[in-house]
Amino acid sequence: MKEALSPGRPPVANHFANRILQSRQGYIDAALRNRGQRVAFIVAALICFFLSVAFNVVEWLSGAPWHAAIDFAYQTVVISGFVLAWFLLSYFLKRRPVSPLKTLWTTLLLALLSAAVIRLMIGITTAENVEGDAALLGFEYDTGVPLTFATVVKMHAITSLRALLAFYLLLRFQDLVLFKRTKQSQRNWYLMLISMGVFSLLAILKDPAEDPGIVQFVGVTLVVILMLLNAFRVSWIVFLSFRAKAAGVGFSILLILLLFASLAPNGILPAHFMYIRHASYPLDQFTLAALTFGLLYCVTSFLFLIFHLPTTGDFRRKAGEITAMYSLTNLVNKAFDPDKLHLAITKTPVDTGTAQMAWLAIADERSGSLRPQVVATWKTPTEDIETMVDMAALYEELAARREPVVLDEGHADRRIRKKPGDPIGTILMTPLITRDRLLGGLFVAKDVVQGFEEDDVESISVYAAQAAIALDNARLFEEQLERERLSRELDIAREVQQRLLPHDLPKMEGLAVAASSIPAYEVGGDYYDFLELDEARLAFIVADVSGKGTSAAFYMAELQGIFRSTTRMAPSPTDFLEQANLALSSTLERHVFVSVIYGVIDVRKGELTLARAGHCPAILISREGAGRLIRPQGLGLGLDRGGRFRDVLEEEHIPLQPGDTVTVYTDGVVESRNSEGTEYGYERLLEAVKTHRKKEAAALHEALLADLHDYLGRTEYDDDMTLVVLKWDGTQNHTKRSAT
Amino acid sequence: MSNFSVGFREEAHIRILDLKGELDAHTVSELEAALQKCREDKNHHIIVNGAHLQYISSAGLGVFMAYIEEMREAGGDIKIAGLQANVFNIFDLLGFPLLFDIVEAEEEAIRKFDADRNEKNES
Repeated sequence: MKEALSPGRPPVANHFANRILQSRQGYIDAALRNRGQRVAFIVAALICFFLSVAFNVVEWLSGAPWHAAIDFAYQTVVISGFVLAWFLLSYFLKRRPVSPLKTLWTTLLLALLSAAVIRLMIGITTAENVEGDAALLGFEYDTGVPLTFATVVKMHAITSLRALLAFYLLLRFQDLVLFKRTKQSQRNWYLMLISMGVFSLLAILKDPAEDPGIVQFVGVTLVVILMLLNAFRVSWIVFLSFRAKAAGVGFSILLILLLFASLAPNGILPAHFMYIRHASYPLDQFTLAALTFGLLYCVTSFLFLIFHLPTTGDFRRKAGEITAMYSLTNLVNKAFDPDKLHLAITKTPVDTGTAQMAWLAIADERSGSLRPQVVATWKTPTEDIETMVDMAALYEELAARREPVVLDEGHADRRIRKKPGDPIGTILMTPLITRDRLLGGLFVAKDVVQGFEEDDVESISVYAAQAAIALDNARLFEEQLERERLSRELDIAREVQQRLLPHDLPKMEGLAVAASSIPAYEVGGDYYDFLELDEARLAFIVADVSGKGTSAAFYMAELQGIFRSTTRMAPSPTDFLEQANLALSSTLERHVFVSVIYGVIDVRKGELTLARAGHCPAILISREGAGRLIRPQGLGLGLDRGGRFRDVLEEEHIPLQPGDTVTVYTDGVVESRNSEGTEYGYERLLEAVKTHRKKEAAALHEALLADLHDYLGRTEYDDDMTLVVLKWDGTQNHTKRSAT
Repeated sequence: MSNFSVGFREEAHIRILDLKGELDAHTVSELEAALQKCREDKNHHIIVNGAHLQYISSAGLGVFMAYIEEMREAGGDIKIAGLQANVFNIFDLLGFPLLFDIVEAEEEAIRKFDADRNEKNES
């Protein structure tokens, strides 16, 4: 409870206020939530009411005032009844919260109704025309004993009406006072209610005619101070629309007039307090205090409403901007469609009323130019932008300054084209920057000069920062999608390319073959293939398209088609290469060429025919370990598109010995470098083949790759890498024949 | 970080390009730009000095192919001089010596250009 203490307020009062506050909400609300107990409350309140009526009836019949003790009991009953009514009303009203405006007009309506009814009742009294001033009201002047039964009824009816109106007013205004409450304001409110209650109870058994004592004076002062404190809690006004505020002004002024007229001694309800005072003096005091507070609160509300009326537009606009900004943040999470996002970003400043037209320019990063593209406009056609302003010049300044720029004098700026009836007076341009990158600019404009205030610039720049993040996210998302799509495409390309390579290695008598090709990227420009020309002859090809990646892969595919279709018609290596050169020359780009090594092995004769079009030399190793590079002369395919290719092309015929191994490969093998930057090279390859020459083709192939990996210290390559090993063991048949 | 560079020199009417470092798919654009500049300057007599060229990939070789025809049609040539053995081997494997004038020393290339010109003047 210590934190509830506040300086300047008696701790006891603090403690009391907090206790009441908690207990009230705790016990009574819980009790009232139970239907049976609610009914019990109502019945109890009604019993109190009728008991008090009965008391007055008896008093009227007897014609003499009661003894003080009985009067005290009577007061207790009356007050208990109204306390119960307060809690019941509190319970019911709390379940139906209403808007501030409705609070005002329902209070007004009830006040009007009660005033009308009371007025009517007082009128009836007057009509009876009882003599004397007090008698005019229907009470004995000295004793205050009611003179007629009608007086008793009126007295209680008026008291109930006024008290209930006061309760309604307090309970409804409570929501207004406690709007955006703090602990402090909540405590002030309950302290006011409690002090009003305590002050009223002080009047119990007191004669209204007596002069107020010092205690009462202090009580009144305290109540008034607390009333004033609470009367200035009017922050609900700020959030009303213009129309609601205007209505509020009307309602509050009517309520002020009505409350003032009914509270004034010579007002529309003359001496109606007399009835209440005769029924219960404390209740009269409480009602008076409550309605006075209502009057005070209406006055402050009225004044604040009036003062806030002119700024309503600005306030609503600011609130609208904030809302729009949040809605953009929401949009960021949903809209990844760039066009939608661009439009949403462009619309908001206009829709919130900050500007009259807006457009969004995005720097095209791909073209690398500073010239931005207008991607969205709002309240002005896209075609008009370029005629209205020099976008390139404006954007240049924005890019240089990288902060919001206001061009206040549209007519004097030469980048804003002067044209009669031109709608641009002021331009505010804001850079869209994320992660230190300038994505583009948001341009908002107004038709008047000096159209943007500092707060506009501020809110637009905050907004632009949000928008930049949104754009950046959308872009990243798009890039991610694109990457995924490309990666899928490349996966497909790799599969297709793998299918272009032979599925099964050829199986010919006496010849063992092993081959592999690994692209550096998803797809590559290396190619190897085999084709059995007849039972005895196998054509093989290893080729390397210059460059890497996708373009190389397309030429590789073309070469595959040429190999598959041409080989049978032109089986001799020179014929084939010439055909291939002719076929490729028409499609190859000027800077692209293909190196090819093409050979035919005759497994019966034991002969290798080989031609080389600019390719790495083949390695021939005998069983005994004698090795050499086979390097007949030849230009790469595509280097010469005339007759020179054929002229320089040589073919080599090499008789094979059983156990001879032919190794063909692409430059990816010999040019692979280790971490020190040294190439694997021909020598090392030659040595490795020599070392492993006695192994079977597959094992030899594997050993060569292992040797390369050992040398490189890794298994990925910088270049496409193809390795084909052909080992001719000769058949007994053939060896015999060659021996004879 | 590219470890390739192209230096420009003028020798009489001949533009000499000094290549340094490794010419591969990543650095090839620099040589392309250099040859492009020669073309814009209407300088068709070009000697590529490869004394400091450590490596050339097939993409690098492609650049020569892309420009040679045009230079020759304009009456000029691209002569290649001073290649290191391993780099020459790459040129040689593809048969470039059959298509290009590849000489050992830059002076030789200059002499050849002069001889060509004298020949032309005489005819």
